[in-house]
Amino acid sequence: MVQNATVGIIANPASSRDIRRIVARGPATTTNDKINSLARLMEGLAATGVQRVLSMSDAGGIAAGLAAIAAKATASHWPELDFVDQEITHSPTDTVNAARAMHDCDVGAIVVLGGDGTNRLLIGETGDIPVASVSTGTNNAFPRHDEPTVVGFAAGFLATGQVEAATCTYTAKSLTVTAGAESMRALVDVAIVEGDRIASGAVWDERSLREVFLCFAEPEAVGLSSIGGHLHPVCRRQPHGLHIRLDQAARQRVTVPIAPGLVRKLGISSLATLEPHTEVAVEAESGVISVDGERSMRFAPDTPISVSLGPNGPLVLDVPLAMSEAANTTTTTKGEDAHG
Amino acid sequence: MGELDRLAMYRQMVRIRQYESRIMQEYHSDKSPAWDIGAGLIPGEMHLAAGQEPAAVGVCAHLKKGDAITAPHRPHHFALAHGVDMNAMTAEIYGRTGGLCKGKGGHMHLFDPENHFSCSGIIAQGLPVACGQAMAFQRKGTDNVAIAVTGEGAANQGAFHESLNLAAVWNLPVIFVIEDNDWAISVPKDASTAGASNADRAAGYGMPGVRVEDNDVEAVFEAAGAAIDRARAGDGPSLIEIHTLRLFGHFEGDAQAYRPELDTVNDRDPIPKYAASLQELGELSNDQIASIQAEADAEVDAAIEFAKSSPEPAPEDALLHVFA
Repeated sequence: MVQNATVGIIANPASSRDIRRIVARGPATTTNDKINSLARLMEGLAATGVQRVLSMSDAGGIAAGLAAIAAKATASHWPELDFVDQEITHSPTDTVNAARAMHDCDVGAIVVLGGDGTNRLLIGETGDIPVASVSTGTNNAFPRHDEPTVVGFAAGFLATGQVEAATCTYTAKSLTVTAGAESMRALVDVAIVEGDRIASGAVWDERSLREVFLCFAEPEAVGLSSIGGHLHPVCRRQPHGLHIRLDQAARQRVTVPIAPGLVRKLGISSLATLEPHTEVAVEAESGVISVDGERSMRFAPDTPISVSLGPNGPLVLDVPLAMSEAANTTTTTKGEDAHG
Repeated sequence: MGELDRLAMYRQMVRIRQYESRIMQEYHSDKSPAWDIGAGLIPGEMHLAAGQEPAAVGVCAHLKKGDAITAPHRPHHFALAHGVDMNAMTAEIYGRTGGLCKGKGGHMHLFDPENHFSCSGIIAQGLPVACGQAMAFQRKGTDNVAIAVTGEGAANQGAFHESLNLAAVWNLPVIFVIEDNDWAISVPKDASTAGASNADRAAGYGMPGVRVEDNDVEAVFEAAGAAIDRARAGDGPSLIEIHTLRLFGHFEGDAQAYRPELDTVNDRDPIPKYAASLQELGELSNDQIASIQAEADAEVDAAIEFAKSSPEPAPEDALLHVFA
């Protein structure tokens, strides 16, 4: 068993607050919900023998709330809790800087509270450190819906060496979209959207969708990946993805949830496998590039846009696998009590 | 949702900024002694909204005749964006008979029945009023909406929670707009508020709550448009919290010694940022920037001239237009 095991925590204070609370029926995961999830996570980590937790700092009340609970006598059995010494920018940079600090500290695992957008920020920042996720976003196609207490157990078993990374982790796929000299990455989807608005981020108007590239496509998902999920499911561990072109005048139709509670009928003009390491050119001459459901960059005519898929996302902890392995191997959380 | 007119929104933000900047100059121009807020051409406290233009402009871009706004003690940006006459408003601020309230209200008590605009120096006072206006719209069967504007500090007042409760119970067409400028006078949010986002508080009343993080007028435009459409359609209230920027002090004369981020405020000014964005889009030229600024300068100068030339109330007028 690894001594002095440390687990990192990244909790996005801004997740679950965008316009999809109004234009869709996006859930409201409040700051106190997130703090409560972290407290449950800490219980799981404590049970597995994790010694230290290094948490992201924020000005959104999460770090302060967690510290307040940790200071109480009822949390005296928790791992030692430290916070990353970082400048707060109120922007996604806070998540990136926290991930880098955790990478530098060589934590045994990182647990992320957020949605697809939060997890996307970790691409390229966490190296070989396994990442586990707790869903506190809107679509949550990438993070699994595991109970935080159980995620704490799984991350703890991994960080303390009671389960092997080789058997309970996998490398996520990621998409790279290149627009001229710029590029962005995505863990779930890249979409080409008509128009020039990017201010609100979220994509909710199905009429604006032109092309969608998917890392994976699960029928049970919400968001743009559900389009592929309903038409031609692709697993997270399969090497390929999907490329779908949309046209509201097309005869082939599919009815899917493009956001929570927002079910739309879409016209599909083509669907093709997206092979790994193959650059696919985007047809649209202008518009907006969305990554993991967030409109992020405008592109003008004459800007060549291409998308490629590769096995170069973060190393992901498979919580059910880790728990299954631990059930067979670990002695930390089970055994005979000396006093019967 | 209404059409996005970027140039109009930029023009409105520049107009408001010019107004607030000139009022600041005028306010201090003859204060003697400088600390005597009762002295000078503009008597009383002065709370200016420079930096908060995106909130007012993004919301008011969706409003139509008959829609109502209740604003707090920092009201000029919402008043101007909602169509309150600049001359009459300025005369009111100067305490002249040509003002909206014949000079008896001052800058914190601007009442314009024609445009359904009001404001108050009492924190969170406008929220119940907006609920009343929304109830009237609902009972009359119109699709008008009421906008209740307040600061983040006011969200700790009882009237805030009572208003959200009633709005939810009665499914009122009201949108609660919270301008979070980080400072309730000199108190930071984390010292006064349980929960970092007031958008969370909407969930407790079963209404959608959105937080717009970056003082971006187009993000405000989209969130407000969605909330206003929802209210007009009869789907009830929403809450939008806008993380904005107080570019000046809480009041004129506030040295802001409590504010550790003071040296960064000019870098966060939303208007140059938006101008740069429009120029990148090819929707704003240098000539247009200059002409829009010149238009704003001329309009504001004319309003100040109107105010200064308007008579002061006679002492005996104090007994007119009052209820007690």
